[in-house]
Amino acid sequence: MIVRLLKQPQFLIGFLFIVSLILLSFIYPSIMDVQKESKFLYDENEVIVGVAPFSPKDMPPFGTDMNGKHLLYLVLEGAKYTILITLVITFLRIFFALFFSLFHRKSKSTFFDDIVQATLYIPTAILAYMFMVPLFVKDATEPMGMMTLIVVQCLILVGIGVPPLVSTFSEEIRSILAKDYIVSTFSLGSKKPYVYYKHVLPELSSKLLLLFAQQAIQTLILLAHLGVLAVFIGGSKTVMMGDIFNLTPATISLSGEWAGIIGQSYQKLLTAPWIILVPLSFFAFTIFSINLMIQGIQNSLESNKS
Amino acid sequence: MNFSFTSYLKRLRSILIGVLIISFLPSIFFGIAPLQSMKLWEYTIENRKYSLFPDIFDKFFYSMTIFFTALLLGLLVALLLTFLATLLPRPIKRAVYGFLTLLESLPDLFIVIALQVSAVYIFKKTGLLIANVSGAYDNRIFFFPILTLSVLPTIQLFKITFLLMKEEQNKPYITVARAMGLGNLYITLNHVFRNIMTSLFQYSKTIFVFMLSNLFILEYVFNLNGIMTIMLNTQGVSFIITVLFIAIPFSFLFEVMESYRGGLNVQKEDAA
Repeated sequence: MIVRLLKQPQFLIGFLFIVSLILLSFIYPSIMDVQKESKFLYDENEVIVGVAPFSPKDMPPFGTDMNGKHLLYLVLEGAKYTILITLVITFLRIFFALFFSLFHRKSKSTFFDDIVQATLYIPTAILAYMFMVPLFVKDATEPMGMMTLIVVQCLILVGIGVPPLVSTFSEEIRSILAKDYIVSTFSLGSKKPYVYYKHVLPELSSKLLLLFAQQAIQTLILLAHLGVLAVFIGGSKTVMMGDIFNLTPATISLSGEWAGIIGQSYQKLLTAPWIILVPLSFFAFTIFSINLMIQGIQNSLESNKS
Repeated sequence: MNFSFTSYLKRLRSILIGVLIISFLPSIFFGIAPLQSMKLWEYTIENRKYSLFPDIFDKFFYSMTIFFTALLLGLLVALLLTFLATLLPRPIKRAVYGFLTLLESLPDLFIVIALQVSAVYIFKKTGLLIANVSGAYDNRIFFFPILTLSVLPTIQLFKITFLLMKEEQNKPYITVARAMGLGNLYITLNHVFRNIMTSLFQYSKTIFVFMLSNLFILEYVFNLNGIMTIMLNTQGVSFIITVLFIAIPFSFLFEVMESYRGGLNVQKEDAA
């Protein structure tokens, strides 16, 4: 399976892009000596001619944010958190959904169906927001530490994605169990766990990879939406910005993932649009490479069939 | 068509139970009562309280106007583009398909923000205001939100119709029609398009759900006062009501679509 996938050029390109992004993110800030900040711009006579934020024209390649931090550095630094968080959330979603759907069929409960029916009409970002806001209120009254906060937030994002997946999986499993060879396996006297392990899971596995990629895209988009809503993974802190005469409170994301970069300067959208557009285009490239991987998976599945 | 009212009611009941569970889960998890400082029929935006009725009707119709106009616009443009694409030679078709995959990967947020920023940029450079890009409370804008909301459905519908078209081109009835000496244009317009429309119906639910999510981000970025803004800012009972406002008409649409599709399947089985 893996060897066949690696022969698909589209899959390879997408895969290499994501892997190199993660590797670069780990290597770039630590090994290479980079200039992380430039708050002021001087001319030849050491006179200040400009203050952050700088546009990509003044400060190539991507410009700086409101505090003068280089966006290239911020984006590369944030890549590892964003992609790893996405992968963990996606993996847990698939895992729990599979776990539940194996039991769901027997219990015949309509609990998941009801929730799935309702979530069709509520955008996922609103759903996540509903759960996140009480969490922040609770965190403000009794602080729980950054690590626990991240874990709870990830669990929320996992929980939101599970019910629709459960209904997809249980439909899939139902259709597999209806196949002729499964019926004959049962009539030959095999037990249920054996059939699930030996027949159902292998048949699901090709679909699982595809679903994993699609879920990863959805998680990335959800993270971007939450960033705009100023809900940051890892929490935020409010600091006072500006000079003494013009203090304005600003929320700052603590974990530096891409959605946080978007969210903390979202109010400055029209004065410095590149701060938002650079991380967003990185989101777009990541999603595009996942889409390429999906295309590759589909191609290899088709060639497998014929 | 075999639309049954009882199955619609059953669906509504399941939606109601689902929304109830969802709206009370946060307070169960975190032990914070949702109704602490709120009356039942109120929502807050930036610490100001507004009453839910009769505001919600107005906002609902505003959002739905944007939604359905965008959908219609997207569908028309997608069909037009597909028609134009069929006239292209084969290698260019492949390139178009690849380009569509690239466009499809753009997050909705990216498109909304990029369009808004570029409109402002054009205004700054030339002084030409294409359309208002942000709504104030009483000042409703239509043109720009509709345009923005229709971009992604157009791309998706274009991709779907493009694929369906490719599949349809290889079917025997096309070969027969060609053998009869009918023109390419005539076949595409009269036969292929009609068949595609019925298949396109199957994807409508996905596109509707996808567009609802887009509508939310659109309303937030453009600062429109629509139904999604209310949904974001309410809790408890008024949240349930807001969701039902969207759920009741849309679930009706889905029910009609599914019964229509069921009818199609029955027809196919009869034919076979």
